[in-house]
Amino acid sequence: MPNQDILVIGGGPAGLEAARSIGDLGYKAILIEKRDRLGGTPDEASYAALTPDLRSAEEAMNAMIQAVENNPNVDVRLGTTVVAAEGSVGDFKVTIQNGKGKETLNVGAVIIATGFQHFDPGRETQKYGYYEYEDVITLVDCEKMLKAHRFVRPSDGKKPERVCFIQCVGSRDRRIGNEYCSKVCCGIASKEAIEIRQLVPDCKVFIFYIDMRMYAYWEPDLYWKAQEEHKVNYVKGIATEIVKKGDKLLVKGEDTTLRRPFEIPMDIVILSVGMEPSQGTREMAKIFGLKQNKYQFIEAVGAPMDTVSTSVPGVFAAGACTGPADLEDSISAAGLAAMRAIKAVRENGTKKAS
Amino acid sequence: MPVDPKQIRAKDKVVVDGIELTSEWNRMFDQRPVFDYDVDVLDKIASIPGAESIAWCYQCAQCVPVCPVNEVGDYGPRKIYRRLQFGIDLLTDDELWKCTTCMNCLRVCPKDVNMIDIMPAVREEAVMEGHVPAELQEVFENTFEYGNPLGESPRKRADWVKDAGVPVPIMKEKKEADILWFVECYPSYHPRGKETSVALAKVLNALGVDFAILGVEEKCSCDSQRLAGERGLFEEFAEENIKTFSKYKFNRILVTDPHALNAFKTEYPKLGGEYDVVHYTTFLAPMMDRLELKNRLNYKVTFHDPCYLGRHHGEFDAPRQIINSLPGVELVEMWRCRQNSFCCGGGGGGMWLDGFMADHVKERLSENRVREAVETGAEVLVVCCPYEISRFEDAVKSTGNEGKLIVKDIIELVVEAMGV
Repeated sequence: MPNQDILVIGGGPAGLEAARSIGDLGYKAILIEKRDRLGGTPDEASYAALTPDLRSAEEAMNAMIQAVENNPNVDVRLGTTVVAAEGSVGDFKVTIQNGKGKETLNVGAVIIATGFQHFDPGRETQKYGYYEYEDVITLVDCEKMLKAHRFVRPSDGKKPERVCFIQCVGSRDRRIGNEYCSKVCCGIASKEAIEIRQLVPDCKVFIFYIDMRMYAYWEPDLYWKAQEEHKVNYVKGIATEIVKKGDKLLVKGEDTTLRRPFEIPMDIVILSVGMEPSQGTREMAKIFGLKQNKYQFIEAVGAPMDTVSTSVPGVFAAGACTGPADLEDSISAAGLAAMRAIKAVRENGTKKAS
Repeated sequence: MPVDPKQIRAKDKVVVDGIELTSEWNRMFDQRPVFDYDVDVLDKIASIPGAESIAWCYQCAQCVPVCPVNEVGDYGPRKIYRRLQFGIDLLTDDELWKCTTCMNCLRVCPKDVNMIDIMPAVREEAVMEGHVPAELQEVFENTFEYGNPLGESPRKRADWVKDAGVPVPIMKEKKEADILWFVECYPSYHPRGKETSVALAKVLNALGVDFAILGVEEKCSCDSQRLAGERGLFEEFAEENIKTFSKYKFNRILVTDPHALNAFKTEYPKLGGEYDVVHYTTFLAPMMDRLELKNRLNYKVTFHDPCYLGRHHGEFDAPRQIINSLPGVELVEMWRCRQNSFCCGGGGGGMWLDGFMADHVKERLSENRVREAVETGAEVLVVCCPYEISRFEDAVKSTGNEGKLIVKDIIELVVEAMGV
């Protein structure tokens, strides 16, 4: 009897949705997560509210986790990693490892949902002093403060009067090697700006940008809302450098529509860091022998018409392991990957049975 | 520390070592870096009821190339927004008075940044704080004192009737008419305006229209004063006019002035005055075949769409229908016509700010427009707004186009064709 079980690697939004979909359709999913809890990056990075509707990340992720944990067809393995794989569609032998030791699973198909990691602004061409100044933080650091409902200057715990975001940190940058747009940072910066204005109404918030990239409904739901209702100020031209002046950060750049340099004191500077393939994504690509693109994301070889098939038949990829993706992208791709994986194990089974 | 507003603008002329540096190139001699964004000013202005949308600008800049003032200077809602973001207070900024409310920016604005609401709202605040150009203040005072911006005696408002040569009934005597013709100030007092009023009276008589005017009871509609910041004056006059209207029986109001059309259509209903209002071109266009047009005119003409008739109220066709029905008249369009018509500079208070504007623009909007009219090869610039005839006639002179172009109201051409 051919194996119709499907292995899902990664317990974030894409992995949870893929596992749930497989279970809902009556197939067995084994969900592997290297951390000892589900929820992926939104949980690990302590996201406060999700884009675009500002729904609590915890609440949204808990609903997804519940759906998987209550699904009798989903076998969840926490604290577990994949260390080796062989075989082909319909007959993969995947070796997993956890605290108890190694185990080899026989599965018909694999869905990789190992996601992204945030760009480290201290890396390479760093010019914003992330590891130098306490008050230079990232979108992720900001999320943590927002989640704790305490948005203060990290250096002294004081209430900030002026805060700015610098967009495209680690994205759209040939020197760093990340030529792509990370797609979500404009929306997330706008979302965090709204939350800062709600939490600290006296605080002036600026977003320094090159292009605002607000696709579809994020335009009215985040960008327009931030500007029109929450008085967030958008200035075209990102800062080049940050220097410390007294207890303030002096942000230097050019206001491009006025063609004048600016040197504005800020209490907190938030770097809108983009996405890179996670360590897990890089490792899975190697273990399964998957083609990667020049940025080391797993290549969806049939894209744009097929966004989930990889270079290896029977191995599918969903979510930000294939490139910058927002939640909607990840969840949509996960459902598609589940469907394609089921089709793969069914077809394979029919062939073998006949 | 916000930027000194005086430092924002490029100097008109800077000469260094005998080389003249113009426009943006001489900005380097000013204070360049921006040391702060005092966005409190933006918040203050955007909190004025009516002015909220100024804070919605996302700098697409579509407004700038269609802004007539930008054509002769440096302007546009996008730029006003930026200045506000820099902490330059619009209430005391000269920029506040440059907009003619022509609405070409709103036509193209994807964000509904509405200068037609923003300008009167912020100007009203500025007027209350006493920041108002002197020449405009004088017009406000004239209007308040005499009931018209020209400072003419209110008792002489209907004097033009004496020269009409046809009956022009007055409501006070007639009490009731199908059409109440609201003549407005310039057509009552200005020499060229009076000529157009006489012409319209002749046409109405020829058509057998049952009409009457208010005569000395009429008061300025004050729409341009409102747009220039005098809402109080506007409301006071509107209440008086509404009271006067209520004394008489009529079916429609006929207006000569598109600015009065705007007042009656958009503002009077808010004050309880709802009327069926029609501009004289809209009124006459369907009746042109009832007029006997004996004279062939043999003119090549071009037509200027008034902002408050065209863009504001969507009437582009009626004036053209009238022109095209005149024997021998050939209409050539200017390249900026209909929706994209170029403002004459008179709207939104611009009529009374020519001296002030001279410091901010390289030429008047009317001069720019007259050059365009001349370029079409037309001999006659046809207008249908009382502001335009005087503005364009001045501009024909100041641009040295006397003898090349004459300015006529559409109704004057009709009368010429009728030969009455």
